[in-house]
Amino acid sequence: MPFKQLLAGFALTLALTAHADVTLLNVSYDPTREFYQDFNAAFARHWQATAGEAVKVNQSHGGSGKQARAVIDGLEADVVTLALAYDIDAIASASQQLPADWQTRLPDNSTPYTSTIVFLVRKGNPLAIKDWDDLVRKDVSVVSPNPKTSGGARWNYLAAWAYARETTGSEDGAKAFVANLFRNVAVLDTGARGATTTFVERGIGDVLIAWENEAYLATAGKAGAEFEIVTPSISILAEPPVAVVSKVAAKHGTGQAAQAYLEYLYSEEGQTLAAEHFFRPRDATVAAKFAGRFTDTRLVTVDEAFGGWAKAQAEHFADGALFDQIFAPQ
Amino acid sequence: MKHRLPSTVSEPAPVRWTLIGIALAFVIITLVLPLALVLSQALAGGVREFWGALAEPDAQAALRLTLTAAAIAVPANLVFGVCAAWSIAKFEFKGKQLLLTLIDLPFAVSPVISGLIYVLLFGLQGWFGPWLAAHDIKIIFAVPGIVLATVFVTFPFIARELIPVMQEQGTDEEEAAATLGAGGWQTFVRVTLPNIKWALLYGVVLCNARAMGEFGAVSVVSGHIRGMTNTLPLHVEILYNEYNAVAAFSVASLLMLLAIVTLVLKTWIEGRAHRQVGAPVMETVR
Amino acid sequence: MSILIDNVSKHFVGFRALSHVSLEIPTGGLVALLGPSGCGKTTLLRIVAGLDRQDSGRILFDGDDMSRIHTRDRRVGFVFQHYALFRHMTVFDNVAFGLTVRPRRLRPGADEINAKVCELLTLVQLEGLAQRYPSQLSGGQRQRVALARALAVNPKVLLLDEPFGALDARVRKELRRWLRQLHDELHVTSIFVTHDQDEALEVADTVVVMNAGRIEQIGSPVEVCEAPATPFVREFLGEVSLPRAEAATLVRLPAKTPSPEVFGRAAP
Repeated sequence: MPFKQLLAGFALTLALTAHADVTLLNVSYDPTREFYQDFNAAFARHWQATAGEAVKVNQSHGGSGKQARAVIDGLEADVVTLALAYDIDAIASASQQLPADWQTRLPDNSTPYTSTIVFLVRKGNPLAIKDWDDLVRKDVSVVSPNPKTSGGARWNYLAAWAYARETTGSEDGAKAFVANLFRNVAVLDTGARGATTTFVERGIGDVLIAWENEAYLATAGKAGAEFEIVTPSISILAEPPVAVVSKVAAKHGTGQAAQAYLEYLYSEEGQTLAAEHFFRPRDATVAAKFAGRFTDTRLVTVDEAFGGWAKAQAEHFADGALFDQIFAPQ
Repeated sequence: MKHRLPSTVSEPAPVRWTLIGIALAFVIITLVLPLALVLSQALAGGVREFWGALAEPDAQAALRLTLTAAAIAVPANLVFGVCAAWSIAKFEFKGKQLLLTLIDLPFAVSPVISGLIYVLLFGLQGWFGPWLAAHDIKIIFAVPGIVLATVFVTFPFIARELIPVMQEQGTDEEEAAATLGAGGWQTFVRVTLPNIKWALLYGVVLCNARAMGEFGAVSVVSGHIRGMTNTLPLHVEILYNEYNAVAAFSVASLLMLLAIVTLVLKTWIEGRAHRQVGAPVMETVR
Repeated sequence: MSILIDNVSKHFVGFRALSHVSLEIPTGGLVALLGPSGCGKTTLLRIVAGLDRQDSGRILFDGDDMSRIHTRDRRVGFVFQHYALFRHMTVFDNVAFGLTVRPRRLRPGADEINAKVCELLTLVQLEGLAQRYPSQLSGGQRQRVALARALAVNPKVLLLDEPFGALDARVRKELRRWLRQLHDELHVTSIFVTHDQDEALEVADTVVVMNAGRIEQIGSPVEVCEAPATPFVREFLGEVSLPRAEAATLVRLPAKTPSPEVFGRAAP
């Protein structure tokens, strides 16, 4: 029996590569693995029905910054679905593989779904973690990915900064707060999924600062009962955008399919799948259906709190900028 | 040929047994236990799930890629290793020391840096990037890049096994063959090769083990495209990151099997090398 | 075959190994290159063989310039100080080696090779040991295998580099005489290198005394002993005193069967 399975596996791979008329490469960030597995199957069915072609979508996952870097260095992505607009901007400016105004090409700033940052704690919340303030306590060990490579980590950082700026009333106060927060960080993984694994599987740390969808995935998973979600009072509206890498798509001749692929994210089926995987859908009807799923909290956007991604990147995450200053003297 | 130290020369029994005990404990804790753990975790979901994980298309693709990379890297380094060892052992030339240093370079450099070198060379923003893109040649984030990275990190193994052996054996036999009329290739195949065969085999086994197990360098140049540019070690990481521990350990057990086979081969080769006919014999004065 | 060494010089990094050395060796001659360590005798021998390259000067075999000719085409038989037997081959395969590497059209058939090897092994008195490996032989036996191997290809010149240097005194003495006898039988032009005066004087027709890369004197054993050309020669050979009566007959030893112990068999 197992041998037959092996043979079937071989045959399946051969079949897929032999029969796909169109192949797309979706370079994505870390937490979207499960979502795109389902979405790709759905899109394949849709494309077969509407365009009569067999499409295969290959996936690559990793920290958002790392993935952007790879695309700049020549990883031939037909579409990129990354954690923040800045990473796609970087691809546009460093390698001119897509136009500078890419974000206007799809609805809602090219963001079919949103997410936010929440805390994942152990069952029973033994350390009584309620809000950002608790994360800088001496007895709390925090797990977060590295803002230099992970998009999720940058949202984490900005959310913390936004909270601290309000409560302390100054930029310096925010800087001190975030410095204390990262001093409590035990391990800096390269990607959001790595951090989640560190917290969930390896049992390190008391609280994980995570994408909302990651946190929900963890509680819905096998060991889900061992964790709880805590939504902080202020968090950031995370808008992970998507884009067609026009130069690559043109070279591969996949422009049409790639565009249709991303547009399908906005369709009812796409939005429903997103919601099922714990992303906040843009579509109002679908959102209403999943209303009970997400906790309401005050969400600030990057534009209103930080003047946009370009400014935020330059001030906080560029080499030698605020994060480096905070984290360097360790 | 084994020499046993008489009891008047070696340590007292308690000391000997303590030393042996420590070594055994170390081996059990750092090798045997983890390997046993991998296997037990892999089978935690039953044999069906174990085979299922191995039969999965992405795992199959990873296995194929690993085997391909090794199948190219090992012969390439075999040829290079023999040439380098031959040159170093038999000839005097300027830059010999430099060559020796270069051969050791992959050992000194972090595997991540090794991978980065290739990205800087062949990536779109790298030296050869534009040219490669213009000619639609894919190296980085495709199989050639992975093979190159693997070749680089396994560079030294065969050469380093051969060099001391060839240096110790000297050039006499090759010179004798030359005086008897043998050509270069004949000399190599009939005189040199049989003398170095165990060292060569040993080097090949080590080179292969490293080629199949390499993670860091390959991770940098891979692109992590599922089912296409992931080797076995990378695939294990992916499975683990998807909370699929059982599948991760199942695939990891393949690598574990490789480790065990490597150890067995290595031991066998060492045994044969000791008993090799032609090992130096003490000259008896008549 | 005659050998002419014409004004050969060689230097290694830091020192001169040979300085303008010229020497003529007639066909069938047995010449000893004698001198202390570092005098250049081995270097000269290797240059004749083609194992090293001279910096200037020529080597001529029967008038033909060998400068462009690779070792393998010079038809020399070389016997190394440490035997250089192929350690993973049997005695038989060692001796047969030179014949088996010949290009196809020149290669003798298996029977012919067989016969030749057996003939040679008999000549060096090692008949029963054809299937042994070098590691299973004594030093003296190994050296004889080396000699048989060198002779198998019918070399035009035999070159021996301190052939008995690694053996103990008694074996050395016996093999010396035996080499001389062999030479008398085969008449192959031979050059051997030694630092042992006794050996040179006993075995060779002509002795070439060397020092610091130069030839000090060329002459018969009697000549170099009785009429040393330079102070160095006198000093170097000083300890050897040849009684006058023996001098004339010294070179030719009476043909004598070497004692069995030399050949690895028990004394009767």
